[in-house]
Amino acid sequence: MANVIFKDVHKRFGSFVALEKLDLDIHDGEFVALLGPSGCGKSTTLRMLAGLEFPTSGEIRIGDRVINDLAPGKRDIAMVFQSYALYPHMTVGENIAYPLKKRGIKGKARAEAVQKAAELLQLEALLDRKPKQLSGGQQQRVALGRALVRDPQVFLLDEPLSNLDAKLRSYMRAELIELHARLGKTMVYVTHDQLEAMTMANRIAVMHGGRVQQFDTPDAIYNRPANRFVAGFIGTPPMNQIDGTAEGDHIVISGHRIPFNRADFVDSLADGPVVLGVRPEFVAIGSGDGLPATVRLAENTGHETIVTLELPDQTRISARVEAARKLDVGQKVALRFDPAAIHLFEASENGTRLNLDETPAAVIPMRAK
Amino acid sequence: MTTLTTDPPRNGLSPLERAYARLGVVLITPTILVFLLVIVYPLLAALYLSVFQIYTPTLQGGFVGADNYIELLTGKAFWSSLRVTIVWTVGTLTLQIVAGVGIALLLHQNIWFRSLARSLVLFPYFLSTVVAVLVWKWLFNDLYGALNQGLMQLGIIDMPLDWLGSMPNAMIGVILVGAWKYFPFVVIAVLARLQTIPENLYEAARIDGAGPIARFWDVTLPQLRSILTVIILLRAIWDFKEFDLLYLLTGGGPVTSTQTLSLLVYQEAFGLNQMGQAAAYSVGMMLVMLVFMVLYIRQTKEKA
Ligand SMILES: Nc1ncnc2c1ncn2[C@@H]1O[C@H](COP(=O)(O)OP(=O)(O)OP(=O)(O)O)[C@@H](O)[C@H]1O
Ligand SMILES: [Mg+2]
Repeated sequence: MANVIFKDVHKRFGSFVALEKLDLDIHDGEFVALLGPSGCGKSTTLRMLAGLEFPTSGEIRIGDRVINDLAPGKRDIAMVFQSYALYPHMTVGENIAYPLKKRGIKGKARAEAVQKAAELLQLEALLDRKPKQLSGGQQQRVALGRALVRDPQVFLLDEPLSNLDAKLRSYMRAELIELHARLGKTMVYVTHDQLEAMTMANRIAVMHGGRVQQFDTPDAIYNRPANRFVAGFIGTPPMNQIDGTAEGDHIVISGHRIPFNRADFVDSLADGPVVLGVRPEFVAIGSGDGLPATVRLAENTGHETIVTLELPDQTRISARVEAARKLDVGQKVALRFDPAAIHLFEASENGTRLNLDETPAAVIPMRAK
Repeated sequence: MTTLTTDPPRNGLSPLERAYARLGVVLITPTILVFLLVIVYPLLAALYLSVFQIYTPTLQGGFVGADNYIELLTGKAFWSSLRVTIVWTVGTLTLQIVAGVGIALLLHQNIWFRSLARSLVLFPYFLSTVVAVLVWKWLFNDLYGALNQGLMQLGIIDMPLDWLGSMPNAMIGVILVGAWKYFPFVVIAVLARLQTIPENLYEAARIDGAGPIARFWDVTLPQLRSILTVIILLRAIWDFKEFDLLYLLTGGGPVTSTQTLSLLVYQEAFGLNQMGQAAAYSVGMMLVMLVFMVLYIRQTKEKA
């Protein structure tokens, strides 16, 4: 069993609070992504799991071992660094063999393990090269090889793809997904790229300001974001958030009344200020009846057009329409929102979501579990 | 320059390229002149002097052909001084490297007195040799020196030792002072290199199960290798021709037991007033140093 548990973990650097009340329960064999903006504490979380940083308080467990005070080498983990951290004077083969060497595995057993890892990652032809003589993608694979050669319980990856170009990155993404399926090992993967998190992970921990905002499947993160931060972080463009007022079974925005089904929301939803959230793909642009808006920008990406619209109160929202749709800048339109796709949030800075769930259907393809 | 477009390229060079080449020549001319004046001329002069027997005060004397070189090869002076030079160089260099690397590693740690220690460590290197030697002579003094005093109080010796006037103490003494004077150079060079080793490598090594000693051998040392080669070669050249420290501390004594080649050349030229013989010795010394030089040039070329 190699589940990973963070229990009430806090981390301070001096007086700076890097992580607050971190609780994560990562299942055996699960691929978990830590996702969030720069400085939110992703790397710190991973480094505490690796033993490169120590929690100020709280408990970290791998399986049934508390590992708070264990040295990195004794935790049965392997880590892939963003910069790869390959030993520059050793060949590819020696790099991959190093963790085995340090654990006293010798001779034939070591050579076989290196061979196996090299085969898995198609590195056989490169074993005698030095890291300097490799491309970024090849170095990346060597770093992976060094991690998986000794069959650790948990793999830790800190933005392993961020130094690669877009094409290589999507290739390596597929490779990693396949590798995870093949090895069935617990993997914790740090990224600030939501596409990586959404496509690779079984579950995503969205982090912000040293706190986990939501820890759930990509589907839930996208369709049932726990709060305004998650709603505004996930999706390109992210979910629109529009200030409004709840009045009975309508939300009033700029004097325009939008009906919603009160039964879909928590009882505590009272009349007064709320934030209405709606994903760009559920904003219908038409004319006549609807929320009046002006087209400000239309960006055609080839297979769709992202339209930026401005409401009378200057709020900007985006909509996703088919590429063929012709819209002129300055054009007056009327917007309608699919009532089933409406989210409501508390009006506070990072207000919680008020929906009683099971509402919108997923519109992005999810990775099979 | 006025007919940039019409000029057909001569020697395959465009007019602009030729202008650059001329500028290059102009720019390196001063360097070449200084080089000729202070390196090539003394070298040729030494070669010239070495085939004469010359009385230093008058600089008069007659041509003797290879006599001075025959004396160098068959006499004892050159070879015994060469042996002394090698003992001194190997001894002091080894200590400099070991102490320098050790202290650099220490100062690389996050210790509270790091910034103070980093500046203090430079002190011996900046101190004038004359001052340093005076201080050390007092410390070494057999009658009232602090060194003997301390060793006696610790019970390591029960009689004051004659540090600079007997062997092997005199050699040990100069080697120690030489190491003390020049280890800061090693510290600074190594420390600069240590700071460029990515922290990630150490973290990766820790995760791979390497302890502190393994991390030193497998991460630190390989990264220090190239800088250490350069330091060793440079310091070897400098220690080999060291003069003032030895001259002031022991003057080559007792008798000639710390007389390195530099001191031999000086003694021959200004003690015995044999400028011709001294020139021959210095040419011999230069040939030995050529070995280090070739190694150094090879090493630095490899990196470029
Ligand atoms: N050793 C340290 N000393 C002081 N503060 C630190 C230290 N390490 C990290 N921090 C701070 O803790 C916070 C979280 O850092 P962390 O490296 O975990 O961020 P991250 O989420 O990985 O960001 P990025 O995406 O930029 O890598 C940051 O504000 C950072 O400045
Ligand atoms: Mg990070």
